[in-house]
Amino acid sequence: MITLLKNAKVIDPANHKDGVVQDIYIRDGRIIAKPADSEKIGQVHDLNGKIVMAGAIDMHSHIGGGKVNIARMLLPEYQAMRRLEEPEAHICGANCSHHATPNTTDTGMRYIEMGYTAAFEPAILAVNARQAHMEMGDTPMIDKGGYAMLGNDDYFLRLLSQNADQKTINDYVAWTLHATQTIGIKVVNPGGISAFKFNERRQDLDQQHSHYHITPRRILQALSRAVNEIGIAKPLHVHCNNLGVAGNFQTTLDTMGASDGLPMHLTHIQFHSYGTEGDKKFSSAAANIAEAINSNKHITADVGQILFGQTVTASGDNMMQHLNAKVANPKKSVIMDIECDAGCGVVPFKYRDQNYVNALQWAIGLEVFLSVDDPWRVFLTTDHPNGAPFTSYPHLIRLLMDKTFRNDAFDKLNLDAQAMSNLKSLDREYSLYEIATMTRSAPAKLIGLQDRGHLGVGAAADITVYTDQADKEAMFAKPDLVFKDGELVVKEGKVVKVVWGATHTAKPAFDVGVEKDIKQYFDRYHTMQMNNFKISNDHIAEDGRNHVINHAQG
Amino acid sequence: MTNQQDSMHACPACGLLCDDISGDAIARQQFSCGKAAKFYARVSTGAQPQIAGRAASLTDAVAAAVAVLKQANTPLVAGSSTDVHGARALVRLAQQTGSAMTHMNASSTLRNMKVLQHRGWQTTTLTEVRNRADVILMIGTDVVTHNTRFFDRIVWVDDAMFTDPAARKIIYLGGDKLSTKPGVSPDGRAPEVIACAAEHLPEVVATLRALVMDKPVTAASVAGIAVSTLKTLADTLKAAKYATLVWVSKDLHYDHAELTIENITETVVALNQKSRAMGLSLGGSDGDTSVNYAHTWLNGVIIDAPEWESHDAVVWVNSYSPDAMPPAGTGPVIVLGAPDSQFDATPAVFIPVATPGLDCNGQQFRVDGSVTLPLTAAKPSDLPTLSQVVALIEAQLQGDLA
Repeated sequence: MITLLKNAKVIDPANHKDGVVQDIYIRDGRIIAKPADSEKIGQVHDLNGKIVMAGAIDMHSHIGGGKVNIARMLLPEYQAMRRLEEPEAHICGANCSHHATPNTTDTGMRYIEMGYTAAFEPAILAVNARQAHMEMGDTPMIDKGGYAMLGNDDYFLRLLSQNADQKTINDYVAWTLHATQTIGIKVVNPGGISAFKFNERRQDLDQQHSHYHITPRRILQALSRAVNEIGIAKPLHVHCNNLGVAGNFQTTLDTMGASDGLPMHLTHIQFHSYGTEGDKKFSSAAANIAEAINSNKHITADVGQILFGQTVTASGDNMMQHLNAKVANPKKSVIMDIECDAGCGVVPFKYRDQNYVNALQWAIGLEVFLSVDDPWRVFLTTDHPNGAPFTSYPHLIRLLMDKTFRNDAFDKLNLDAQAMSNLKSLDREYSLYEIATMTRSAPAKLIGLQDRGHLGVGAAADITVYTDQADKEAMFAKPDLVFKDGELVVKEGKVVKVVWGATHTAKPAFDVGVEKDIKQYFDRYHTMQMNNFKISNDHIAEDGRNHVINHAQG
Repeated sequence: MTNQQDSMHACPACGLLCDDISGDAIARQQFSCGKAAKFYARVSTGAQPQIAGRAASLTDAVAAAVAVLKQANTPLVAGSSTDVHGARALVRLAQQTGSAMTHMNASSTLRNMKVLQHRGWQTTTLTEVRNRADVILMIGTDVVTHNTRFFDRIVWVDDAMFTDPAARKIIYLGGDKLSTKPGVSPDGRAPEVIACAAEHLPEVVATLRALVMDKPVTAASVAGIAVSTLKTLADTLKAAKYATLVWVSKDLHYDHAELTIENITETVVALNQKSRAMGLSLGGSDGDTSVNYAHTWLNGVIIDAPEWESHDAVVWVNSYSPDAMPPAGTGPVIVLGAPDSQFDATPAVFIPVATPGLDCNGQQFRVDGSVTLPLTAAKPSDLPTLSQVVALIEAQLQGDLA
């Protein structure tokens, strides 16, 4: 059956279309060229010039896995009983959450209602990947995928400290992608999570790890080179050293140079853009960071915008979260060392607009957004739930698109913070085309989803239809229609059909001989068999709802 | 990448999930663990669905279960001794029937959850302990009563990356009827045993925490233990490279034991201000971790406490504990469980289901929470899985509603 979206006003940066009115034809979940007149059209939606974009892709959102579930357990006070309507009530119990700790059903439903059709879990501990996939498998409506964490695992640190050749490292990285069913590689506080286990409390970029005698810079070099040489699309996803520390912008600038010009993605860069100026020794270094992004074309970044209110921070960075636990609100937190593989820290936070640091964090994120020239290299994230729940994206989009709205919000901030920000001097207002770039075309390109994030012939028919409104928050909060793989799943902001999406992976070729050493390591030091560490396609597909979509690389 | 077919089985008989059980060991019934031996000796053949103790077809038994559930106003899903897939099915069944959902280990699970939800904690996992721990303090437990192979697999191992395993210091603090022999090192070094009855652990652990925090303690002894002994213990913990404080919630079964657990976890928090230490909650059985975790991600909240008196029907799942049944007088009971179940009182409906790890594949969380392992059918049988039976019940409930 063919579905026709008639008179669509298409905003599709990947295909350089900015408001072109055209018809879109869908068959078997894909966008097709205009069919012959003889072919039967099953369903017609006359859009009368409504805005049409590809489904949005969240390239960094903590939607599943150990620390997310710990956050749910830790914070029963976020849960509320809700009266749900079909079809959501069909698969979701009465407990639906405050959106900082959504259950898996809630996650999928709230994303699709905003026109998002995919989200990527950016911090999958390799040893915890099975759990992450189980949770993502129970997340309806959207496609999923993840980045596996390396760079604090003892196997890798041993390789590096023993001067293993780059090929061995490449094979291990590729093996990890296969074993964990992920599509990218992340490094969190390079070396720092491991160093914390040796009672170190800070790990600087050029400081030797106390046990392995290698630097984070060396870890970044090896991993970014591996990711590049095995040929996956997604550049190394880097959570820099010194998250949240005043003055950390210098670490961030130095990190940009650590890959020797190879592509590198710096994540939640807002948390890494702090200076030490002013009476409070905490200032915005957004201008320095944005300038560096603008001039270093190999660098991409997502922002990790904070928004005011209660949330919870869930990070692999247990070293820095252990420090942050002192300011937890409510006053409780979980810090874990995990399996000689990584760690995690879950710390609830309440960001307040009258708090100097929080107010400035808010401004810093927006300064970065508005000062980076190229929307293909800066991504719209709140680092859900760390800066704010993903449900606040429509609000964030309005802050970017509406200067008056932004400045009104700025005027309400802590006065000392206002004095330390140049936000009001930034006149830029994002266009719909730029928003579509940073939420659709650019994340698809970055992750290597060739058939997503655009509306060209052959693309998956993940499509969102909006009514253009002056109030962009209202516009992006409630699309008119959302199609997932060609099926109409949301109407007037409400889910009308439950679908389950798929899991996207990258499985580059590698020398399977690398397994011999890995198996020896498991047998000698681990508490599980190497074979049980590996996740098969069948495990992803079990319970019948999920399946793997592997993306050819290179 | 495919998993090799000759891989070892993971044993779900306790929360340790030892995954080095070969098919050969199962065939010969050669195990170093009594729990594993008992588990793999189970026989699933010959079980048949029953209605009120009389043999019935699966279709009739499902219809009878549906009839019980439709008559009930406040059913309860309980026992819940299963794996992740079973937990998913039970969460769905509970939603559809408006049931609360609990687990046969709920009281010990919730003891830990109270601490987590009040203050959080700082914990570690088995591989970290295996490779780092130089001091292991077991509080109110010998561990081996629950996790038989803990010392073999985690403590007295041949190799560790960051410590000499044979040189580890093992300390038992309090507890009843402990088996401390496994704490003897391979070269015959005895563990330190600081004895007190479990019921005195509240004041003993509170004192230890105070000493670790350098608070003044004026008493000379607590529950018969010299404070100087506890002071030495506090200093040992502070001097450790990676002190591990172990508890088993099931062994702390006096009133308000959660306050003792919180004193353990807050001792760890205090130690981590200057040195490194971590908590480790062990024990676990009957898929308790899996069920609580899956319930949490599917519902946003942890499992419920059982309140037997307020329910007028019970769905009971006992896959890993064939002898376990709800308290007498609860009912009517629908058992979706172990084919070798032992009933004191005949349930209204009994549908034998495949036991994950024995009759069918599955996935199970280890007790330390971060690791999930695939379970493989050690002795495949054609019994339906819990998910399949729940799906049949659901279909009929929905059909009847439509």
